[in-house]
This record gives sequence, C-alpha cells and structure tokens, in this order.
Amino acid sequence: MRDPGEALASAKAAADRIVKAKRLNAMLTPAKELRKSLDQQAKAAHPSGVLYGMPVAVKDNICTVEFTTTCGSKILEGYRSPYEATAVTKLKAAGALVSGKTNCDEFAMGSSTEHSAYGRVLHPLDKHRVPGGSSGGSAALVGAGAVPAALGSETGGSVRQPASLCGVVGIKPTYGRVSRYGLVAFGSSLDQIGVLGRSVHDAARVLSVISGRDARDATCEDRDPLRLPTVPESLQGFVIGIPKEYFPSDLDPAVRRACERAIRLLRELGAAVREVSLPHTSYAVPTYYIIAPAEASSNLARYDGARYGPRFDGQVDVRTLYRGTRGAGFGPEVRRRILVGTYVLSSGYYDAYYRKAQQMRALIAQDFRNVFDRGVDLLFTPTTPTPAFKAGERLADPVAMYLSDIFTVTANLAGLPALSLPIGRIKGLPIGGQLIGQAFLEDEMIEAAYAIERVFPAVEEA
Amino acid sequence: MSVTRDEVLKIAQLAELDVDEETLPLLAEQMSRILDYVAQIGGVAASESARPFVPGPDAARFRPDEVKPWPLAFGPPKLAPAFKDGFFLVPKLGQFEEAGEGE
Repeated sequence: MRDPGEALASAKAAADRIVKAKRLNAMLTPAKELRKSLDQQAKAAHPSGVLYGMPVAVKDNICTVEFTTTCGSKILEGYRSPYEATAVTKLKAAGALVSGKTNCDEFAMGSSTEHSAYGRVLHPLDKHRVPGGSSGGSAALVGAGAVPAALGSETGGSVRQPASLCGVVGIKPTYGRVSRYGLVAFGSSLDQIGVLGRSVHDAARVLSVISGRDARDATCEDRDPLRLPTVPESLQGFVIGIPKEYFPSDLDPAVRRACERAIRLLRELGAAVREVSLPHTSYAVPTYYIIAPAEASSNLARYDGARYGPRFDGQVDVRTLYRGTRGAGFGPEVRRRILVGTYVLSSGYYDAYYRKAQQMRALIAQDFRNVFDRGVDLLFTPTTPTPAFKAGERLADPVAMYLSDIFTVTANLAGLPALSLPIGRIKGLPIGGQLIGQAFLEDEMIEAAYAIERVFPAVEEA
Repeated sequence: MSVTRDEVLKIAQLAELDVDEETLPLLAEQMSRILDYVAQIGGVAASESARPFVPGPDAARFRPDEVKPWPLAFGPPKLAPAFKDGFFLVPKLGQFEEAGEGE
C-alpha cells in the first residue's frame, strides 16, 4: 500500500506540467477544469492500484465522463458522453489519473494533427514541425514530459507514427486485444486503442491494464489481460525478419542509417536477423485509403445534427438540417474522406474499389502469415519514411500526407500488434523503429523492445 | 480517373453533405488525385474466390438478451440538442418526404 497522499502530489505536478506545455496546443481540457478533476480523481484513487497516481492523458476520441469528447471536431463541440470507454474505466480502477483530453486530427483522420478544429499541435522539439497524427496531442504531451503515458487510437498508424516523430514509444495492440467500447468509430475493421509512453515499460504497463475481455465490445477477444514480460538479458532465440519492401531506394538516408544501426544491434543482442519479403506492401496505402474512408463514410453518417452536438440552425426540413449541419460541422479532411468513401461504395464503383481493396487486404495479411509461418518471430522496419516534417508541407496534396503512413498501415490491415520506439535522431529530430509481432503475442514484441531500449542510444545522431 | 464537379455534387448529396460552390473545383481535383492513386490496386491479380480478411473473433459473440439498467452520467434530456416533455425534438419527418419528392 502506497502513501494515499502520493496521488495528490502526482496530480498537482501533472497539472503544472500540462499547463506549462500549453504552447503545444496538445491539451483540449481547460486548465481550471483539469486541475479540479485531477484533484478529485487523486482523492478517489485507490493506493493498491497498479497505476496508482500515474497521470494518463486521453485522446479526445475516447469517451470520458469527466471531460468533453469532441474528436477534434466542431460537429461535437461541447459534447459530453453519458458513459466512458472501458479502457478509461480500467485505467481509473487501476488508480491512474485521467489527465485531460488531447488534441487530435478530426475524427482521427490525419497524419499531422493539422486537421483539428481546435488548431494544429506543435512538435515538442520544433514548433515549426508537426508531431504526427492523428494522436499528435498525446504524443506531444508525452514527448514534452508532461505525462508519462497517454491513450491514443490507431486506424492506420495514428499511435506509432506520432510516437516516432516525437521520440516516444507507441504501441498498437492486436485487433481485439483492447475493448473499443467508448472509442468513437472511424474505420471499425481497423480501429484499436493504443498507448504512448515515455518508455517501453510505461506504455506496456498501461496497455496491460486496459487489455482484456469486455462484454460490451463484440470485437474484443475473450482473453485475459496482457501479462508483461521481464526485461531480457539478450535476444538469443529470437528470429527477426527485415522486410526488404520497407527499405525503398527513396527512404530518408538518416532513417536508413538509424535502422541499419538498429539491425546491427539486434544481431549483437543475439537475435537471428534475416531478410524477408512482404510483396504486397506497396499496395497497402491505396488499399487502406479505400477501406478506411468507406467505413468512415458509414460510421460518420450518425453526425446529422439530430443526435449530437451543435445543430445547423437554418433548417427548413430534415435534409437541409442534415446537409447543413454536416457541411458546416466537418472540416476539409473529413469531408474529403466521406466523399471518397461514399464514391467507392456507390453503385458502379463498388467492385472496382471496395471489393478489390478487400481482396488486397487478404493478400497483405497472407504476406505476414507466410513470413511468420517460416519461423520469423518479429519484423523490424522504420516506423516512418522521414522524421517530423514542416507544418503545412503536405496539406496541399492529400496523397503526400497519406504516404506518411506507408510503413504503419499494413499492421492495421492485418490486425497485428506493432510498436514504435526511438532509435536515433537527425538534427535533433527523433527517428522511430518499428517492431511488428504476431497476433496476440504482444509480450514477445515488448520483450524485444525492452532489450533494444536498454542498450540503444536513442538520442544519438544517425 | 477524373472526377467532375457534377459528380462531386452527386456524391455529396448521397453523403448528405453541403459543399460550397467555390470549393467544388478543388474537391474535384483532390478526389481525382486520391482516386487515381488508389486505383493502382486494380492492376494486381487477386483471386476472385479469395476470402476477404477481417480481423477479430471468427464469430460474433452475443450477450444474454437481458434488459439491464446502465448507469449514465446524466439523463436523456442532455443526450440530444433538443428535448422537451420526455421527447427528443427533431424536424418533422413529413418535411423530409416532401423535400425528397421534388428531387
């Protein structure tokens, strides 16, 4: 049993740090409301909880009862959920302090957190650059040292990509490992709640707490919570595959150098490293950008002004109400994805786009099975093709922005667990390396990450 | 694939989304760029009989069909933009029918 006053001190310190990081625009909860809630939570937190007193910020597309849930959208401005996500309930039961809601790309659609109705999030190390997205607020706060961990969500890399750009650890669990009850739906066959942490251990222990069965989510597997592995002395016995398709000729040279150094280190740690092939990798982004918008166009149909948030007040009939509310309430990226999703699902185009994308998804998942069936335990790749890019640089060309996710979307399409951790820096900007594991074997992935983190010069220039 | 201004308008209607006249040309250009890009998967041979991959449990699990009160943080009046005398207020559906007939 720990000192019951510990959580109060932790709550105050966390609030101070979050307020100090205000310039990042990463936190959506007003300071006064945050301090009041943290104080109340700290007094109610049970000292026997495994996360007792640990401040954990929560992405604003995960429902909380303490704070509004806007998904970074004007259409949900001021929305208070009448219930909270199972992941949040589990955090609180473990004694963690829900430390406000973090800014994100609107409805988690974006790779730079420039698509929030509440303004862009700044990179914690360079205000002219983006923190990645869509969980950019969570990544920036962890990167700035304001909180040790934060919840994010993944549909195509929205935890790992910002984790990589901000120099923190990001874990996307296997599809079905964590309940999605209370996670606002974007692409239901892809969405998962993930964790960002300042270290593998911080991220892993939060993941362990929020994982496990939940009767309220039919896609959540009937499994016990994840058991954390111990920190290994070596990686003896691990077979780590290096997929050649993740090292294209136009890969940023610094990212390549950092990965090559990491691969040497994996060998030095005792792992058997071998080159493998995932031949359909180059089709993952186009496949994703058919499936995800198609599912989004359906999931976001519910935001019509009748049930949630502000209502367009010039309505004369229901259709005008719907169209006016949605037209005024959604930002440009969400509108674009709804339109693309509606297009690929419409009569005449369904087979050419959506049906074909489903077939491609099966091939991409089969690529992974083929590699894992041949004795490979884990895959190692870069997390992103470049370090953090400049704000505004990719806004004009949606496809250029989508390609930021080129190394992350595959794990979402195949439903596999994946983890990003810092492996170096270039001109002070972090570079992330990615481990992709087999379904429900997060423990192996985390074990390898522990070993890498323990010996790796993550802040060394590549 | 080139998406025209009229096609964007038609899709926007299907999506129940107002689109400004002045943003139509840019939207058409961006949608064309995105659809051109994703269309590259059309050239990949894939077996028609391939079983679509869907992650998650093989079969949906069902909860017992029981009505259980679930404590909410607040009651129904705060759940929607407008609520009066125990009812959610929305525009009359009849207006929807009339508007639909004219299109």
